[in-house]
Amino acid sequence: MSNPATNIASQENELLQQDRFIVDPDDCILVTGASGFIGSRILQNLLDRGLRNIVCFVRPSSNLSEIEAMIERRPPDTRIEVRKGNLLSRVDCEAAAKDVAVIYHLAAGTGEKSFPDAFLNSVVATRNLIEASLRFGSLRRFVLVSSFAVYSNRDKPNGRILDESCPIEEHPELRGEAYCFAKVRQEQLVAEYGKNSGVPFVLVRPGSVYGKRGDITGRVGIAAFGPFLHLGGSNKIPFTYVDNCADAIVLAGLVKGIDGEAFNVVDDDLPSSRQFLRLYKKNARKFKSIYVPHTLSYALCYLWEKYSKWSQGQLPPVFNRRRWHTEWKKTRYSNSKLKAKLGWTPKVPTSEGMRRYMETCKPDGRYA
Amino acid sequence: MDDMLKVAIVGCGKIADSHALQIQRIEGCEIVAVCDREPLMAKQLYERFPIKQYFTDLAELLDTARPDVVHITTPAESHFDVAKFCLERGCHVYVEKPFTLYAEQAERLVDLAKRKRVKLTVGHNDQFSHVARRMRALVQSGYLGGAPVHIESYYTYDLGDPKYARALLGDQNHWVRRLPGKLLQNVISHGIARIAEFMTTDSPQVIAHSFVSSLLKQIDEREIVDELRVIIRDDQGTTAYFTFSSQMKPPMHLLRLYGPKNGLILDQDHEILLRLRGQKFKSYADMFIPQALFAKQHLGNLFTNVRLFLGRDFHMDSGMKYLIESFYCSIRDDSPVPIPYREILLTARIMDAIFEQVAANRSQDFSSAALGQLRAD
Repeated sequence: MSNPATNIASQENELLQQDRFIVDPDDCILVTGASGFIGSRILQNLLDRGLRNIVCFVRPSSNLSEIEAMIERRPPDTRIEVRKGNLLSRVDCEAAAKDVAVIYHLAAGTGEKSFPDAFLNSVVATRNLIEASLRFGSLRRFVLVSSFAVYSNRDKPNGRILDESCPIEEHPELRGEAYCFAKVRQEQLVAEYGKNSGVPFVLVRPGSVYGKRGDITGRVGIAAFGPFLHLGGSNKIPFTYVDNCADAIVLAGLVKGIDGEAFNVVDDDLPSSRQFLRLYKKNARKFKSIYVPHTLSYALCYLWEKYSKWSQGQLPPVFNRRRWHTEWKKTRYSNSKLKAKLGWTPKVPTSEGMRRYMETCKPDGRYA
Repeated sequence: MDDMLKVAIVGCGKIADSHALQIQRIEGCEIVAVCDREPLMAKQLYERFPIKQYFTDLAELLDTARPDVVHITTPAESHFDVAKFCLERGCHVYVEKPFTLYAEQAERLVDLAKRKRVKLTVGHNDQFSHVARRMRALVQSGYLGGAPVHIESYYTYDLGDPKYARALLGDQNHWVRRLPGKLLQNVISHGIARIAEFMTTDSPQVIAHSFVSSLLKQIDEREIVDELRVIIRDDQGTTAYFTFSSQMKPPMHLLRLYGPKNGLILDQDHEILLRLRGQKFKSYADMFIPQALFAKQHLGNLFTNVRLFLGRDFHMDSGMKYLIESFYCSIRDDSPVPIPYREILLTARIMDAIFEQVAANRSQDFSSAALGQLRAD
């Protein structure tokens, strides 16, 4: 992580000189979910860019150690305020959105298996936040951090590029994933506010964000049935290193002339699922995996879907053809729009990102 | 009433999904409307299930959709008002657990249902799982040899589950904190209802001991009581222990019934029912034969569960489906409700007695702590 003290002068000048940004260094920036994995990197990125008036909105139970460390070493004349609350409370939302110029909305119901819970914490919370910001009239950009999960990826041949022009899941309720349903509806809600109330918004859809120890993305495989089933095979995995992702999200809130746009965030030189798994086993943890060819995984998803329907949900429809198309179909990814319109480049190359990631995964920190 | 039973769901949160899923599996009924004060929540449920309309106003729902049955799946603090409103409008009502905040409210709802000649039930669906029904049949056949001498009901709750614990512990305004019995009130009614089913008196003796677990104390949580031990005794001499714990491992939802002749163990988590033979075998035979008999019973449970699964009748919420189906049958046939009102009221009274003592325990704890602080000063 860069030291803001060493970067302030040059980056503040960069910010002040560039007429491509919509904010001044003293404009108020709100980051929801600021204590999270990506949120804390966004906060650092904003500081590195010389922004001096940042509000972090966090849950009362959040771990604030990273934010507090950043407050400790913040540059002089920089204000970082932590506001605790719940986005389901309109009062808390008003307190959070007061006089802000840009909102980076990361807080979401991630990890929720229940549709209503995911929906409540994503869609209802977003509605509350936008409504609150509309009362102050100071909002210049609402950045919604969404996900690749919103794409349908059906009706196109294997191996074709998935970019921002690809269709969104038309029936997210049939995907069997609460997260997908909530994210699609959340995007639609923001777009409606853009259309009906003139909210200037940008959608950012990161691929698989990596950088700290955690579960292997389901795009590589799953361990739900005992042995790890390797489903990705030769598919490219749409990885984005957390610092690169944070950089793209921050730019989406600052750059002029991109209102209403959506941006996919993936890094360059993406590894295949097989390459990633090999690297992971070599450097992080050894375990047995069983490769499931694409034809077989598609057939299993089809059978699961049919059984779920036939048995009236005795097994929930968590595996189905829609999900297969999104997560395990051979697909390529593009970050051309991100580079062209935001001037983004992945500052941490994938090789370096993977090295750092594997270090976090292995207790002794060795990297082979 | 038409042949098709018209059903409405009020409150479109997490548990409403389970209701909608089970209702759509039952023949002869349809969900005509759902309602939530938050329009987005009402709409999301309406979009995901074959539901005809959604509302944000209950009166409008009742006037427009004219349901025969209303399922109340709102937070517990509103159960009484919503149920009363629906009963007064002549609807049959299924209230999610906990039935009401206080026993007095439960009594008023039961009285109202009787006066209006409509049916009322509570979502104690664990009592209608396959294994619970098998156990009930055995008890009714006289397997215990009479009324239970002693009952043990265990109900654990994993606060380590981030989904619930994060929402509850992180939010000082969470609705569960506003319940008189807080977390306990939202969770223990399944375990208490299992005891109430076998108690004969209307006002049993209840002795409760409660405390905050060391885990919650470590994170400075003082309000949520998550450990509870209760002794209950009715006037016929049947006694019961109820244990609620957030820390006990393995997690269990267990009922043990000991009769004058034989006993039974119901393990809800694994859908296991074991018969405990009252008579001993002679000499060394008692060291070998019971093990073989237990093994046989476990195999029998395994085969039963596999058979049910293959027969598409082993859903996670199978107890809820059975309870709803039985409730609808009682409406159609004007037959007795699946959970007798006596049991609903007894469960509510036992819970009242528990929460009264939990509150007293907490006051004592605070007084002791304050006294300790004064002495230290």
